[in-house]
Amino acid sequence: MAAKLNSVWRTLKRIWQLWLFYAKLDLLLLISDVRLALIYFSSELLTSIGSVIGLLLLAQRFDGIGTWTLNHLYVLLGYSTLVLGILNTFFNYNLSLISRRIGRGQLDHVLVQPQPLWMIFITEGFAPLSGLMGLIPGILLFAWGLIGLGVSLDLGWWALLVLNLFASGTIMMSFNYIWGSLAFVAPRSSEEISSSASRLLDQLKVYPLDGLGGLLLGSLMTVAPVGLVAWYPVRALLGLNSSAWSIWITPLAALFMLGIALFCFLKGLGYYATTGSQRYSSLGHRS
Amino acid sequence: MIENGLGQQTIIRRGRWTRRLAKYAKTASMAASGYIGDSPLFMFDYVMRVLRVLVLLSIWRIVLSEEGASGLSLQAVLTYTLISEVFFSQLNPRTSMEDAFWQGTIAGRMAQPLGLFEQFTSETVGRWFFEWCCFSIPLVLISPLLGVNVLPASLGAGLLFIVSLLLAVSVGLALEYIFCALLVIWQLPLWVMLQIRSAFITLLSGAMLPLAFLPDLVGEIFSWLPFASMASAPLQIYVGAGNTLLLVLLQVFWSALLWPLAHWLWFKGREGMISYGG
Amino acid sequence: MPPQVHNATAHSDIVVELQDVHKVFRQRQRSSRLSETIRHMFKPRIREVRALQGVSMQIRRGEIVAYAGPNGAGKSTTIKLLSGLLAPNAGRVRALGFDPINERVQYVKRIGVVFGQRSELWYDHPVAASYEWKRVVWDIPQDRFARTQKRLIEVLGLEEFFHSLARELSLGQRMRAELGLALLHEPELLFLDEPTIGLDVLSKRMMLDFVKELNRKQQVTVMITSHDMAELEQLAGRMVMIDHGKVAFDGPFEQLRQTMSDGRRLIIETSDETAPSLEGAELIESQARRHEYRFDASQIKIVDLLNQAAKQTSIIDVETVRAPIDEVIANIYQSWRKPKEVLELEEAL
Repeated sequence: MAAKLNSVWRTLKRIWQLWLFYAKLDLLLLISDVRLALIYFSSELLTSIGSVIGLLLLAQRFDGIGTWTLNHLYVLLGYSTLVLGILNTFFNYNLSLISRRIGRGQLDHVLVQPQPLWMIFITEGFAPLSGLMGLIPGILLFAWGLIGLGVSLDLGWWALLVLNLFASGTIMMSFNYIWGSLAFVAPRSSEEISSSASRLLDQLKVYPLDGLGGLLLGSLMTVAPVGLVAWYPVRALLGLNSSAWSIWITPLAALFMLGIALFCFLKGLGYYATTGSQRYSSLGHRS
Repeated sequence: MIENGLGQQTIIRRGRWTRRLAKYAKTASMAASGYIGDSPLFMFDYVMRVLRVLVLLSIWRIVLSEEGASGLSLQAVLTYTLISEVFFSQLNPRTSMEDAFWQGTIAGRMAQPLGLFEQFTSETVGRWFFEWCCFSIPLVLISPLLGVNVLPASLGAGLLFIVSLLLAVSVGLALEYIFCALLVIWQLPLWVMLQIRSAFITLLSGAMLPLAFLPDLVGEIFSWLPFASMASAPLQIYVGAGNTLLLVLLQVFWSALLWPLAHWLWFKGREGMISYGG
Repeated sequence: MPPQVHNATAHSDIVVELQDVHKVFRQRQRSSRLSETIRHMFKPRIREVRALQGVSMQIRRGEIVAYAGPNGAGKSTTIKLLSGLLAPNAGRVRALGFDPINERVQYVKRIGVVFGQRSELWYDHPVAASYEWKRVVWDIPQDRFARTQKRLIEVLGLEEFFHSLARELSLGQRMRAELGLALLHEPELLFLDEPTIGLDVLSKRMMLDFVKELNRKQQVTVMITSHDMAELEQLAGRMVMIDHGKVAFDGPFEQLRQTMSDGRRLIIETSDETAPSLEGAELIESQARRHEYRFDASQIKIVDLLNQAAKQTSIIDVETVRAPIDEVIANIYQSWRKPKEVLELEEAL
């Protein structure tokens, strides 16, 4: 038992060490060229704002959308921006858009590292500073909405918020990996498939899906889980769902999706070990 | 028989143009067939776009009553949204030029006996043909199932839409080449330019959200910018909204202004282009 | 004959062992016709490429092995199998006592790999940052890292660009930095897949001298692929040649030369400009009074050729050299391309 605990402790320490190192690399990258850092921050900020501004202006114009008031929508948009911000913070360098690495034949760079793949995947993309510009607008919008709604929240609620945020992020990542695994089989045509998968969730995650028909809504909660990225968890967190248990749906779905993603990725990896990649695209190996 | 020098010249010129068009057509067909060289997975993007349009149509049905708003009926907004998706690639034309920069193949492109704009435009148009067959036409065909009337407001609107669409493509391509030139001149990383461009165009072109639905002053300002000539203008003409003549004139104006600017920027950034392209 | 050791272990002096290794790739066939292309989208036409067909070899600790063969012969596939990137369809791959696929993490700690056409350096970071990254990820103790890094900077001449971004380096600089990165954890076994591709003469020499020195001083086992035979001969004592996925030759370079023929050059300077006609030698170049002949020393003696020449003209100077290794290899590749019947006929003649 003690040996097992010791091994877990060592693993956690290693993850922390690697996170610190990659955070340092991220800092170095940004401060080595101030002009580029400013351009980068501005573009990230513009992207974050750009992804929500359309719906915000629309909501402003029509004083909300359906049953969603402006403040509800601020929370929804804030939450959805935060989910993407978390992904960009923890899984940068094409680790969330995994089909790029697989499709470009660049998984070899991962395989020559003396570490388990899972550890590389959860550490190598850590870029806390680069991801900041996605997180800040999200936090501001979320806070603005909550203040506007005037709800009183306890510590348990905040814990559930963090749990749901990470669950939503896991769902997005898993969706990218499930589709991205196709790049093992068809590297060229699937090189950008994770980007397409991500774009689908990213573009639609800001919309309230309340009025959709059963079949479409069902699809958007399962096969293309747009609803689980922001809409459903925010409804649950704001108490708009009838059941209190609904707050656990997103985390449970995240576990399920993660299982499928692992299965697909490991299957693909097995295939990769037998076929390798006949394609190497030298677009900067960790581009 | 060629009887005089003038006649001969005309024939030679025609031959030259035929040859040139053949080059464009070959480039376009290579680009179109290149899509299907691997596997049918590229269809994935199309499925996603269908989902996106379904969600957007539902949102409009929630937000708007039958009368609509800002002079646009609900049915007109649904048509606007669907047509915007049908002509998505023409209303936001993207060439593979950025990729060529990123992969360092731009220098090799210059060794081809075709202008750079011509090469990339031919390829882009080739890919459009493929997309029309696999996505746009099927989407138009299923539109009655989605409860959307896909026909233009009138025959005249339909004809003018074609003119306006061509002008929109012209403005869009000019902006594409300007963005690429700026990428080189300012030596920006590619993804930065793509992000900025995407953030601007999504909102300012009116492809996703009719500019008429934006807060008054904001919508008014946006409608005068070149981005509005890329999507908002032809879509408004299609659904019979807005001042048609003004919209087309504005497109002509931006097209006439942006192409010389694109050429000038490329001339200015020529040196940097080679070093950027490795 | 080296002693046969069947299990490559950390204690054995056999560090690499391939036993009857087969590797098959499935390649989709394309068409230039649209109708066929569309049909193949749904019903792909597959061709099986047998990259390796029963390859067996052993490499002993401290050896430098040149691994050569024509394009598509299976060189890179072998390196990928040995680097833990690919699994064989059949046969056994062991290196340093490990199964490279199933014991990947432990194994890659002890090997170094350089792919000439790929980069392990972080593109947007200075070389120094990639080295620091390697220290953390490979868990190299700080003092050892500092010592090795210092030595590599000195020996490979990295100082001038150590703090430049990887994407700003010239090819020669990048390859030196790549080699340094691959050696930072002091691997026992080094795989170099076309490491000198595109390099100028000086950079090549610098890299090869370094590898030779590394092998001599630290007993690092090296397996190197290249198309430059002269450089391989300069570096390695042993050559393994592969063709169509099979080992076609395994032995010292000297033996390789003899396998084909003992190709030589005879250069004679004569008193007049007419080149003498020599039976058993082929005139390949004649400039003013200097004439160069190609001949097979196993078929005709030099003295006989000189006697023939002396009868026709007066000889001022004589020089003989061995045929360049590239020519020997080119002849071998050429012979591999010849149909079997032609070879049999040639043998009979």
